[in-house]
Formats: sequence, C-alpha cells, structure tokens
Amino acid sequence: MLVGILAIGVPIAIHLIGRRRARVVKFAALDFLLATKRKTAKRLRLRERLVLLVRALVCAAIAIALAKPFTSCERKGPLVTRGPQAAVLVIDDSFASGYLVDGKPWLKTATDEARRILRQLGPEAEVAIVRAAEASDQPSELTRDHMRLRDQLLALEPTARPADTTRALARAAQLLASSSHSRKTVYLISLLARTGLRTDEPAWGKDGPALVTLDLRSGKLANLAVTSLKVDPDPGAGSRGMAFDAEVGNFSDVQAKVELQLAIAGRVVARGALELGPGEKKLKRFLAALPAGTRVTDASVSLSGDSLRVDDQRWVSASLRDQVRVLLVDGDPRTVRHDDELFYLEAALRPGDREDSGTSVRTITAEELAGIDPKTRGRAPQIDIADFDVVVLANVSALPAERVAVLADWLRAGGGILIAPGDHVDPAAYDKTMLPLMPQSLRDPIDTTWGASPEDRDSRALHLVKWEADHPIFAPFAKDDTMLADAKFFKIALLGPTTATADRKVLARFTNGAAALVEASIGSGRTLLFTSSIDRDWNDLPIHPGYLPLVQQAVRHLARKHAHGTQGDHLVGGSVVLATGDLRRLEVRGPEGLGAVFEGDRITGRSSVRFGKTDRPGIYHVVGTDQTGATRDRDELAFVVNLDPRGSDLTAAPASALPPSGTSSAAPPADNRRRVELWHALAALVLLLLLAEGFLVQR
Amino acid sequence: MLRERIDPVQLSRLGTLPIKARVIVEGALSGLHRASVHGSSVEFSEHKEYSPGDELRHVDWKAFAKGDRYYVKQYEQESQLTVYLVLDASASMAFAGGGIAKLEYAGLSLAALAYLVIQQQDKAGLIACGDREIDTLVPPRARSTHLHDLLSVLDQLMTRGATGDESPATALHRIAELTRRRRALVVLASDLFDPDDETLAALAMLRAQRHDVSVLHILDPHEREFPYEGLTEFHSLESTNRMLVNPAAIRRDYHERMQAFLTRARGVLTAAGVDYHLTSTDRPLEATLLDLLVARARLQPGKRAS
Repeated sequence: MLVGILAIGVPIAIHLIGRRRARVVKFAALDFLLATKRKTAKRLRLRERLVLLVRALVCAAIAIALAKPFTSCERKGPLVTRGPQAAVLVIDDSFASGYLVDGKPWLKTATDEARRILRQLGPEAEVAIVRAAEASDQPSELTRDHMRLRDQLLALEPTARPADTTRALARAAQLLASSSHSRKTVYLISLLARTGLRTDEPAWGKDGPALVTLDLRSGKLANLAVTSLKVDPDPGAGSRGMAFDAEVGNFSDVQAKVELQLAIAGRVVARGALELGPGEKKLKRFLAALPAGTRVTDASVSLSGDSLRVDDQRWVSASLRDQVRVLLVDGDPRTVRHDDELFYLEAALRPGDREDSGTSVRTITAEELAGIDPKTRGRAPQIDIADFDVVVLANVSALPAERVAVLADWLRAGGGILIAPGDHVDPAAYDKTMLPLMPQSLRDPIDTTWGASPEDRDSRALHLVKWEADHPIFAPFAKDDTMLADAKFFKIALLGPTTATADRKVLARFTNGAAALVEASIGSGRTLLFTSSIDRDWNDLPIHPGYLPLVQQAVRHLARKHAHGTQGDHLVGGSVVLATGDLRRLEVRGPEGLGAVFEGDRITGRSSVRFGKTDRPGIYHVVGTDQTGATRDRDELAFVVNLDPRGSDLTAAPASALPPSGTSSAAPPADNRRRVELWHALAALVLLLLLAEGFLVQR
Repeated sequence: MLRERIDPVQLSRLGTLPIKARVIVEGALSGLHRASVHGSSVEFSEHKEYSPGDELRHVDWKAFAKGDRYYVKQYEQESQLTVYLVLDASASMAFAGGGIAKLEYAGLSLAALAYLVIQQQDKAGLIACGDREIDTLVPPRARSTHLHDLLSVLDQLMTRGATGDESPATALHRIAELTRRRRALVVLASDLFDPDDETLAALAMLRAQRHDVSVLHILDPHEREFPYEGLTEFHSLESTNRMLVNPAAIRRDYHERMQAFLTRARGVLTAAGVDYHLTSTDRPLEATLLDLLVARARLQPGKRAS
C-alpha cells in the first residue's frame, strides 16, 4: 500500500507538468491584465488547486482500496468468520417468537440478525436454515444460494407450534455432517426457552459442530398464558349448566394480576380476575349456561393482552353430552371384585363412578340376559333391550339362539354390540348360535406364552400395532402411541375365514398379524369383536393408560355418540378424526378460512375422515352435505384447536441444556473485535471524487 | 507613399547600426521627394570676411569672384537645432511579440534620426533611461564623428537589452535642466508604460518650456491585439508579478483597457502640443521616420516655437 500511495505524486506531477506546459509569456502590459483579471486569476488558481487535490485523493483512495484496508470494532453480534465453511442458522419460529420486544416481534429481530450473519459469512459459505418450531420438517439443505436464503428469512412468520430446539439442532448437525468443509458452525438464534431444549438427549456429542448462540433476549421475558381450558356439565346450574375451568400460568418472576373473560359463541358472558405469584399456575372456574337451543357451541377464555398475545386465549367445544346407556353382560362374575370380568371395564366406563361420566352402565350376568327374551317373562326379570345403546358381551358363553335372535333384531335396528372372548367362550358353540351378532367367526385361541418360562413370558407377548388411526375409536391415539402399543397380549382368539368383506373391517392387528379388533355393520347396527379378554386374564391392557379411552371411544362409537368434549384437547399440528356418518361432502373451515374439503373418494365408504391442517389455534367449523344434498353447519363435528401450553413458558434454559460446542470448527479468536472492511467505502469515495474532478474540469 | 519598405526584422539583420540608420534615412528621404515636402531649418543672414577656421564650404565664391575677397556666409541660426533623442530602455521595451523588440525598434528609429540630424549639421544628443544604475548621456554635438559616438552608445544599449523600471520622466526632467531654456527638439521613443503617468506629465512640462517634443509611442502588435490562446502564464518584465490566465476569457476586457490607455495618452499629449506618433514594431521604420519628418515639416516655425 505504501508503494501505491506514491501514486499521489502522479497527479501532482501532472499538475506541475501541466503548469509548466502552460505557455509562459513575458509580457510588458501585465499591469492591464493584473488590473482587469485579478479575480479571474484567483478563481483559476483555486480551481487548479482543487483539481490537484481531488486527483491526489483519487490516486490515494485507489491505492488504499487495493490494499483492502479494514478496521475493527466491538463485536455486537456473534462471532462470524468470513470464508469457505458450512453453517446452519437455527431460528426459533415457535409461537413464542411473536413475543413483542419494544413493539416489534422478536422473530423480526431474529431474522434481521440471521441476515446479518448470512452477509458476514460471505458468498463462499454453504448455509442452511433450520426452523426450530416443533414439527417444522421442511426440507433444508446447505447451499450457496444466499439470495434464496434471504428470501426464506424474510418470509418467516411465527408458527403456532412450541419450540423443539433440540430437534432443530440435531437436524443442523445432520446437515453439517454431510458437508466436506472443515469449519462447521451452528448459529442458534432462539429464545432459548427451557421447554424447547431436552437435556436427556443432547443434539450432538463432543464431535459436533461449533455452536454460536445469539442471546437476543432483552432481560427476562414475562408471559401470561391460558394454559388449559376444560368444560364439564354442571348439574348444579341446571340442565344447560357448564363449568369452565381455565388454568392460567404466570411465567415470570413477578406477581401478576390477570383479568379473564369467558366468551360463549363469541359473546362475553363472564369476567373474572386472578392474582398470580411468580411462576404460579391457578385455576379459574367460570359457571355459565349454554344458550337455549344450543347443544354444541364453542367457548373461549382469554386474558388481558401481554407481550405474547397468541397464548392469551384458549378455546373449548362445549356440548350437552348424551348419556350412553350400556348393558354389560358379565360372563365370568366373581365375588372377588378385581377378579371379576368387568372390574376394569366398569371402572373405565364410569371413572370415579360419577354421574357426569357420560355413561350409564348396567351390569348383568349371562343368565340374567335371558330377561331380554319376552318369552322368558315370569321366569326371569325382564330387561328391555331397547333401553340400551350398547351391549357388551364379556367372556359370555354362547347364547341360546332365541336370545341371539332378540339381540340380532335389536342390533339391526341400530344397536351396538361389543364382544370380548375369554376362557368361557367356545368357538364351536359360538359358530352355532352367535354368528348373527359377530363380524367374523371365532377359532381356538392361541396362548403365546404356552411352555414359556416366567422370564420369557413378556418377550413372547403380542402387541397392538397397525390400528386404523383415522377411525374414531383410535382418535385419541397417536400413531404407535405407547398407551396402546406397550400393552402385552398373552392369549388371543383367532378368527375363522370369511367372505363377508364388504361390511367388515379389521381396525387393529397384533404383532403376529392376527386381527385384534374387527368391526362390522349389520343392518343399522354395529358390532365389534375384540379378540382378547376385556379384563386382565389374557392381557395387561386394562392397566395401561390407553384402556380407558379405547373402551370409551368404542362404546361411544357403537352408540354413535362421540364425546365432543374431548375435541377440546386438540393441539395445533395434531390431526382430528371427524365421523362422517352419511355425509357425502364435508368442509372444514379453520380460523384462517377454508381448511379442507372431503368429497368423492375421500369420504365415500368411510366412517370417518382425518383432518390434519390444524395450523392455527381457534375454532374449526364443519359444513356437511348429506345424501339428500342438504348442506348445513355440523356443530356436533366442530372442534377447537389450541396451542401447546409448553411453548408459553419462556424461562431461559441453563447453558448446560445446550449441546457442547464441538471441535470440528476452528477455534474462534479470543478477542471480541469485529473486522470491518473499508474498501467499499473507498470505492464509493473514488467515484464521488471522479465526479467532482469532472465537474471542476468542465468548469 | 513608400513603395518599397524594408521590414524591421530584415532591417535588424543588416550590418552595423550606422548602415541601418542610413538605410532608414535614405528610404525615408526617397519617400520625401515623392511627397514633395521641402524645407530647411537653416536660412542665410549676412556675409563676414573669411578668417582662418571658418568652414570652407561656407565661403561665398560668387562674392569672391566679384570682389576678390573671401566672404563667408553667415546663417540666421548656425547649428541652432539641438535634438535630444530619448530612448526608453526600461525592461518593458524588451518585449518582442513576433517581430523585433520594441527597444530595437526604438533604437533604430532614433539612430536614423541622429543620422539625419547630424547630416544636416544639427546637434544630436542621446539620453537613455530604464536602468537606474547606468547613466547614459551623449551630449548634443553636430560633428560627423559625433554621429559615430552616438550610434556606438545606441548600439551598446540595444545590445545590452532593456532592463530596469526607470521611467522616461527622469530623462525628460534632465533634458529640461540641460537645455537651460534653450529651445531643443526632444524625441522620445517609448511604450509609455508608466503606471503613474509621470512620462506624460514630463512631456507636457517640456512642451510648456517651449521645446519641440515628439513622441514615438512604440507598441508591439501582440500588445495591441492580445492574440494569445490556451492557458498562459504571463510574467511581468519589470516586476516579479505573474499571472496564469485563459487569454480568451479576458481578451475583450484587455482590449478595452488598452484602447483607453491609448486614447488617454493621445489626448494628453496632443492637448499639450506634443507631436504624438503611435507606431507598431511591425511597421517599416522608414515609414515611421517619414511620418515623423512630415509631421514636423507641416508644423510652422512660429507655431512650433509658440
């Protein structure tokens, strides 16, 4: 550069030469010139000197610019080194990223910072963007197309999902592992909420990429949120009375007073207030009656707005629940309560034995079932089968043909039967009389633990797999849900061959491929065959969490009465199973408009459809068209979707929750100074000087 | 009018100064004949008896034939014309735009005049101004040998070149002292570049003392026209002043100022009765000399003396 700076001498030399080249005339009448044009001469001399100065500056600026000068300043952002490398920008786009900091969403600040990093990495860096919101499985790859990445950053909006930072970091590590660059860095631009970081399974080990964490939190982020909302019938408030239990969380270090309001069908019907201590959660109960003439409606509880508004409201679908009347036929009654065949089933259908459980249960023995037959009048207590929606035959020996006929008539008329085998069930006897009630004939059961030692017993057990996730019975369960999959089945009944496939459907199978749950439509009724016992004789399902929702759903499915109250538990991103009934077209409208339309092959011949575009919290209305072509709102199918309350907790994660900064990257310099290139400014200065020089010369 | 005039540049290349002077005078006189201008400043008065020492050429041979006595013609004014030639040799006279320098032009003009004056038996003297350190004075004499001396001094002055910034006014004042009220003809060859107009005042003063005063105002054509183009740095000849300027931008202004100067000089001198001749260094010297002679011949003696 010092050699280049000598170029300053060039314009000076040119100036002097030019001055020398100016014609010199020894003139006698100079006084005339001096008198007339003294001012002109001064101006000319000034212009000459300015041109000389400008040219000297141009030469100096070019020489300095070619030397690529730089300066350094205090680094405000993270350490970013320019040059060839692989880098992944992990950006938190969870719903918490909409947190307003100084009136601006945090995500805006984050994307600005990400773009700054992208700029500083330089064009030789291969960069990818990974979003940290849960279930953000968008494809991402390392690329040098920084323009596209900038566009992606600009298009980023807060999702309605909680953060899953650990998964995003793991994804970033996978991307970097495929890169051939030696320098690999993950830039984590996140709110670093502890709920998004799992300490039990770090994203990478010691050999992972370097991790640069951007702390964009301006102090502690206080947040208030409605974390839960449940609705239950409130018999004390009349037949339409409902109790709304809203749980409000104070995710801050200070006391907070919260004003709440309950709205039903969009109209505010109640208000309340809560005092919450730091980190405290409290329940607020609102009692209200559903509007007259309404059996199903939506309701919401919201609190006065704070910096994160999206979690200040929570919805629930409130319905006046129909009681399901169930007749339980006990094929193996015992005096020891827990040995009884129906011990677990009764408890599952009436948890807590509460009146508001939605199910009325009557339990009888197989012999007492004779009362359904009018011909037995006088010999047995009469039972009017029409009083029941569902009959459960639990380990019941084959019934006489006349009782089966009564049940079959009732079944075809719209009843529902659940049959569960047991040691009292003789497949051959069932084949003789019970077939009108069954979706498929039974064969001899198999005991998978036969001959096994007690130690091998568990390992030889069967498990439930491949259940119809779209079926209403399995609506509460995710795919491979451990609530069901962990249950062990030691003995199951096999099924006989059948050609009646039109109305028969296997809803679940065991790990050996054998059917576990078979459904068939008979007339207007439905029958379900569970191929293992309903108690713990053949399996341990009753002691698993999935047992209760499974049998409740099964009973309601058979009774064609689905528990709308449970729809309130849908979280953003989850799928919702909608019973289609006789509808030939079904339209789901979410908070942001049309969500999906089910028609044609997507609905014909199906008892239910699965809706998965629950991207935003709020009320999802359903419009159905039946076989007659009539279209109307199906309030009974409407559902609400809420945020995952985990994402509302913005408490900062400890540093130990982050994966270690690996060794595959060059160690960052110790000082916290940032290199600032100056040649761009010098190039601009040269341009300006050249313009000025042209202007001066033209004058 | 002169049919064949010699270019001053070519003339300057001729031999010695006396030759040049002679060439100029002959050229001018040939023009005089054509112009039919006659006259002499010397008129017959009376006879006196010859005595040794008188010039033989003044012997009246007709009277000798009649009376066999030698008589010598007495003239009304014997060598009564004293001519002071004043050469402005200040530095500004060194300027030569394209032809010869003003100093050379002035020197040649005065040399020719001296030649003519002494040929006519009149006295011619020389005073140069410009360099304050050098006192150049050739007293007026009428002898032919004096012409040689005078032209030698003039040649030296021209060879040395123009220096200094002394105004011709000093030399004019000195003439006023030397003549002591005796009438003389003062011929000044100068560019009159005198910031204080002292020269004009001194000329008027001489004229007021009944001297005949002629001024050859010599300018270079470049000083009249200012023909320069392109960026030019002008250096003063008499000072250290210099100025870088675009001539085109100031040409008009310069012309106006030059014209004002000439108008003022002519006005002041004419009003004072000074015989003023503006000439240019590209003008033939004999033409300039002829102009001077014609102008002087037209002036009547009485008017001249008044």
